[in-house]
Amino acid sequence: MYEKHPCWSILLRLFHWMFALSIVVLVVTGFYVNSPWTNTMLESSQSWPMAWMRYLHFVAGYVFSAAIIIRLFLYIFGNQQERIWDILPVTRRNLRNLWKTLLHYSYIKEAGQHDRLGHNVLAGLTYIVTVFAAIVQICSGFYMLYPEAAFWEGWGVAIFGNQQSSRYIHHLLMWWFIIFAMIHVYMCIWNDVKRPEGVISSIFTGDKFTHTKA
Amino acid sequence: MADTVHNTLDPQLNRRGFLKGCTMAAAALGLSETMIPKLVEAAAAAERPRVVWLHFQECTGCTESLLRASHPDLAHLILDVISLDYHETVMAAAGHQAEEILQKTVTEHAGKFILVIEGAIPTKDGGIYCKVGGKTAMDTLAEIGPKAAAIIAIGTCATFGGVQAASPNPTGAVGVMDLISGVPVVNIPGCPPNPMSFLGTVLHYLTFKRLPAMDSLNRPLFAYGRRIHDHCERRPHFDEGRFVEQFGDEFHKAGYCLYKVGCKGPETFSNCPAVRFNDVDVWPVSVGHGCVGCTEPNFWDTMTPFYDRLPMVKIPGTGIIADADSVGTKVLGVTAAAIGIHAAVGIGKRLIKGKGNE
Ligand code: HEM
Ligand code: SF4
Repeated sequence: MYEKHPCWSILLRLFHWMFALSIVVLVVTGFYVNSPWTNTMLESSQSWPMAWMRYLHFVAGYVFSAAIIIRLFLYIFGNQQERIWDILPVTRRNLRNLWKTLLHYSYIKEAGQHDRLGHNVLAGLTYIVTVFAAIVQICSGFYMLYPEAAFWEGWGVAIFGNQQSSRYIHHLLMWWFIIFAMIHVYMCIWNDVKRPEGVISSIFTGDKFTHTKA
Repeated sequence: MADTVHNTLDPQLNRRGFLKGCTMAAAALGLSETMIPKLVEAAAAAERPRVVWLHFQECTGCTESLLRASHPDLAHLILDVISLDYHETVMAAAGHQAEEILQKTVTEHAGKFILVIEGAIPTKDGGIYCKVGGKTAMDTLAEIGPKAAAIIAIGTCATFGGVQAASPNPTGAVGVMDLISGVPVVNIPGCPPNPMSFLGTVLHYLTFKRLPAMDSLNRPLFAYGRRIHDHCERRPHFDEGRFVEQFGDEFHKAGYCLYKVGCKGPETFSNCPAVRFNDVDVWPVSVGHGCVGCTEPNFWDTMTPFYDRLPMVKIPGTGIIADADSVGTKVLGVTAAAIGIHAAVGIGKRLIKGKGNE
């Protein structure tokens, strides 16, 4: 027997898909901006490949930033699964879950039924790291985007030193998002296979399932 | 420039040249033409500000480019609007006589003179790596700096340390702003900076009795408020996707954008494309070489390799130096392999033990 539990709010699912899709666009256009792989000798061609790619990058950048604002809001005001206290490994409950998850993921000791509905603490921690990386990405991005705004200029210089350093860090962090996405998708499939709680469908429907002994 | 021959041969600054120089400075400052008379008035005032010019760890390139401007009016104008009391390269006095003049200016005009610093200040081992007249640059700056009305740090060495400060910075070289507090410091970085940026700052100070508006790195906004890339004449080629792939190729001959051969215009704040150099209207990008970012802090470390987009990744302790994407691709590959192994172990376990019963 399975019992259905609402787990993720609509806002969280919205965040997730804004985040995921904007990252795809940002990575592709980011690579293009770094090294525009098309070249042309057409003069006055009425086409602006570089301008367009940058434009798409900036639009996706705004979507990405909005997504992060939503997630930060949910860390504080979301439902129980979404709040940061459900994840931070500072309580006994969370530390135990972290340890159990590590053993479970390394096939040492399979954990049985979940003790929680939301993220396991290991996954939740990588999400926190990713949100942090996203904030750095946003700061460096806006510093490059608004070179003449005193606000971004001041903060950009204070954090990164100069625009080239911010660009470099922006580029390196891109690899975190690529690698994270790969591991994230794999772990979701793995969990879906291991435990019939419906992790994958939960990010579409918002519902998770628990196994009740009938 | 119809009068070039006349001007070049005439060692004196004539009135026409004087007005022309003031007008150029007003344009560089972004002032309306109605302000030109004020500028001229200030520049012609009898009481010219005393200037002490100190050379530390540097190559004198800034002085050279300033005073040997191909257009002599500019150099004359600079020497005309200020009273250059002490300048190791151009002064006639030497030895004790020179030191006396320096002391005299500094004591008699304390709190009123302008101090110009050219060159970085080495701080390691008590600053012994740069001494003039038996005194370290550090001591001289600490003694004279606080007495100045304002300090103008000219060139990337005096502003951010320059090449001497490049990693591993063996002499501990730093810029003026890292050592001085309490006295306003204006930074005019560049290797060398445009003489117009220096002249504009001085004339602004003379006319308005205050320093020009500056960014968070103390660079005057009139000269360093905008990125090179944002007013570069090759920008249409950038937006429309026409790039030089290699120096000397057909794209290069056609004058396309230098982004793919490492131009740092998108990361560099300076007025080079607008003000240009040497009065023959050139600047690096106009003659086919990318910007190297010389007006930015730590440019020797962060803008290199000059012909690539981004700095190399150096992994400490391993001696590995590679570009960001090849490092990224490798880490991605290792992650993919780890995922493969993880999945294989899971499948193997299941085959051996059968489906776990929970
Ligand atoms: C996951 C998120 C992001 C990724 C993976 C990403 C990736 C990249 C990459 C690879 C570049 C090229 C840098 C280079 O030259 O190598 C770039 C440039 C840039 N990105 Fe992002 N970016 C992200 C988020 C953002 C955000 C949130 C903004 C803010 C609006 C932003 C604004 C910019 C800007 C302004 C540039 C410079 C473009 C130019 O000057 O031509 N990026 N990005
Ligand atoms: S040449 Fe350099 S500054 Fe000019 S448009 Fe190209 S990248 Fe920008």
